[in-house]
Amino acid sequence: MSFVVKKGFDDMLKIENLHASVAGKEILKGINLTIGAGEVHAIMGPNGSGKSTLSNVIAGRDGYEVTAGSVTYHGKDLLAMKPEERAWEGVFLAFQYPVEIPGVNNTYMLKAGVNAKRKHQGEQELDAMEFMQLIRKKAKLVELDQSFLSRGVNEGFSGGEKKRNEIFQMAVLEPSLALLDETDSGLDIDALRVVAQGVNALRNAERSIVMVTHYQRLLDYIEPDFVHVLADGKILKSGDKNLALELEERGYDWVKDEAAIAASDQGQAA
Amino acid sequence: MSGLTLDRTALPGGTGVQALRQQAVDIFSRTGLPGRRDEDWKYTDISRITATLGETWWQPAPTETAEPEISDIEGLDAYRIVFVRGAFQLEASNLPDSIQLKPLSALLAEDVDATSHGLLKLDESAPLFNGFLAANSALASDGLCACIGENTKLDKPLYVLHIGNSTAHLLNGIMLGQGAEATLIEHFVGGDGSAAGLSNIATYIRLQDHASLSHYRLQMESAKQFHIGRVDVQQARNSRYTLHAVELGGSLSRADIVVKLAEAGASCELNGLFVAAGRQHIDHHTRIDHAAPHCSSREQYRTVLDGRAHGVFNGKIVVAEGAVKTDSAQSNGNLLLSKQAEIDTKPELEIYNDDVKCAHGVTVGQLDETQLFYLKSRGLSETEARQLLTFAFADEILVAMGHNAIRRFIEKAAFAKLPNMADLDGLLG
Repeated sequence: MSFVVKKGFDDMLKIENLHASVAGKEILKGINLTIGAGEVHAIMGPNGSGKSTLSNVIAGRDGYEVTAGSVTYHGKDLLAMKPEERAWEGVFLAFQYPVEIPGVNNTYMLKAGVNAKRKHQGEQELDAMEFMQLIRKKAKLVELDQSFLSRGVNEGFSGGEKKRNEIFQMAVLEPSLALLDETDSGLDIDALRVVAQGVNALRNAERSIVMVTHYQRLLDYIEPDFVHVLADGKILKSGDKNLALELEERGYDWVKDEAAIAASDQGQAA
Repeated sequence: MSGLTLDRTALPGGTGVQALRQQAVDIFSRTGLPGRRDEDWKYTDISRITATLGETWWQPAPTETAEPEISDIEGLDAYRIVFVRGAFQLEASNLPDSIQLKPLSALLAEDVDATSHGLLKLDESAPLFNGFLAANSALASDGLCACIGENTKLDKPLYVLHIGNSTAHLLNGIMLGQGAEATLIEHFVGGDGSAAGLSNIATYIRLQDHASLSHYRLQMESAKQFHIGRVDVQQARNSRYTLHAVELGGSLSRADIVVKLAEAGASCELNGLFVAAGRQHIDHHTRIDHAAPHCSSREQYRTVLDGRAHGVFNGKIVVAEGAVKTDSAQSNGNLLLSKQAEIDTKPELEIYNDDVKCAHGVTVGQLDETQLFYLKSRGLSETEARQLLTFAFADEILVAMGHNAIRRFIEKAAFAKLPNMADLDGLLG
């Protein structure tokens, strides 16, 4: 049984019965989730519940084996696409641990990414001037100092600067589906506010955002339309933003208990 | 090999010079060529040279001149000194008049100059001394001899272009007087690559107090050529020496870089980059002698090996008993782009006092999967991502080059060698 958030032709992402393993160990055990255009979803759950695995599977990282189920994105089979094709189609992952790439210029990487996407979508590539205008505008959005643009990707950045750089990249790449993997972790309150402002500014009717987070804190700044509890590889409960508050107050155990009771009821009924 | 003799008529120099050449032949008769039983030649089998060239590796270069195409490095404004197949080309050269500069052949022909005799004299006890060096003294046909006087700051680099594709033994001697500053670019290129020979090049550098030399050594021989090089540097008080050694060409290339920090306050920096593919074999043995207090050395080598290329790096640093307050750091990173590529790397530190700071580190690996995924998740293709990371790895050496025209030239040449690396315009833009 699945909690279907929204049904209809404007489904952007449809995850059905998704099972995935890492190094032979099953982490996702049947995820069902539908995300409509323009919606903001929060996926919450205890450590080790499979939150990051879900983001990585959607972004196409190696080492995550999908053993069953499907992920449909804008009506296409997302799992059949290479990571870069997913990016071209508008999927963006803000990393939990953004990697440092010394020697690869932040701006160069983004220009290559933006133009690859534009080419894929049959649009004219941006020239150097147009691109610089674009990134200056977007850097302001997340209060990212201009000097960061010409540095190596995340090279020598603090934890907060790395996360801000992720949101900056999201602003530049203008995805239609953004996955924010623990974007709030390691941020102090000021940095969190800046990052949240950036994300909120990017909310619109076509762009869907999935926030994977451990804490309610981020949701004070970015208000979700839907909240899901992920535990032991399954979505146990879904609701609106009030669910997050309830989780903050009561922890995760009651959701697990509820789910266990529901499962045993179901077992008896069958 | 002991049967090798000198054809005196073909070599410049009068009786004094010929006697020195004979001494070198005698030394060679005792030492012969290095073999794999020699620790310093364990990974580099020079039988590949003798098997291909036979005894022609020994023969002095032909003296006739030809007219190969000479192309400048784009954007490089320099004094040009050209050698073709081991012989100086006056017509093609553009010499500075502010310094003493002569081709070795002219200097040796005079046979009165103590400098020329000094250049040919061999010190068998020098680190990494070997038979090729003896052969170099015995057979040196030409080279650049330059003396940059006290406090002279040379306005443009000395660009020494060696065009090979034949056997040539060249000997260069560069002296910087007190407070002098200069940039030296040695560039080794082949012709069309149809012929093969041995370039046996020795460059002796002497820096007086407070002198400063930037030295670019760009080995871009044609595919079949063999290259044996030696750079021998001696530094007086507070002098500075910076080497940018780039190895791109040749079938087998070996260079011995020997730097002696002889007096207090001297410093050296050795930056090395190998980009090799196919069956290329590239070997650098470096030796830095900290012989005096308060000297510093920085050494950074990177290798990018594809195909069945084989790289060898041996970095030895010796800190003498009296060389207190020595500050030394060495790093060597190796990127293997194929399963068949091989690197043998060995840092060697010999430290004979306690008051030193010496750091060293070696890495060997493939491209980082996490970095690759990150770039792909931003929309770069697998090929682009690999290209970018490879470039970034090597470029850490190239950014140290102060001379942008050379850096740009090397970036293009280096990456043109690797698969899928052709389209660099955006990257270098």
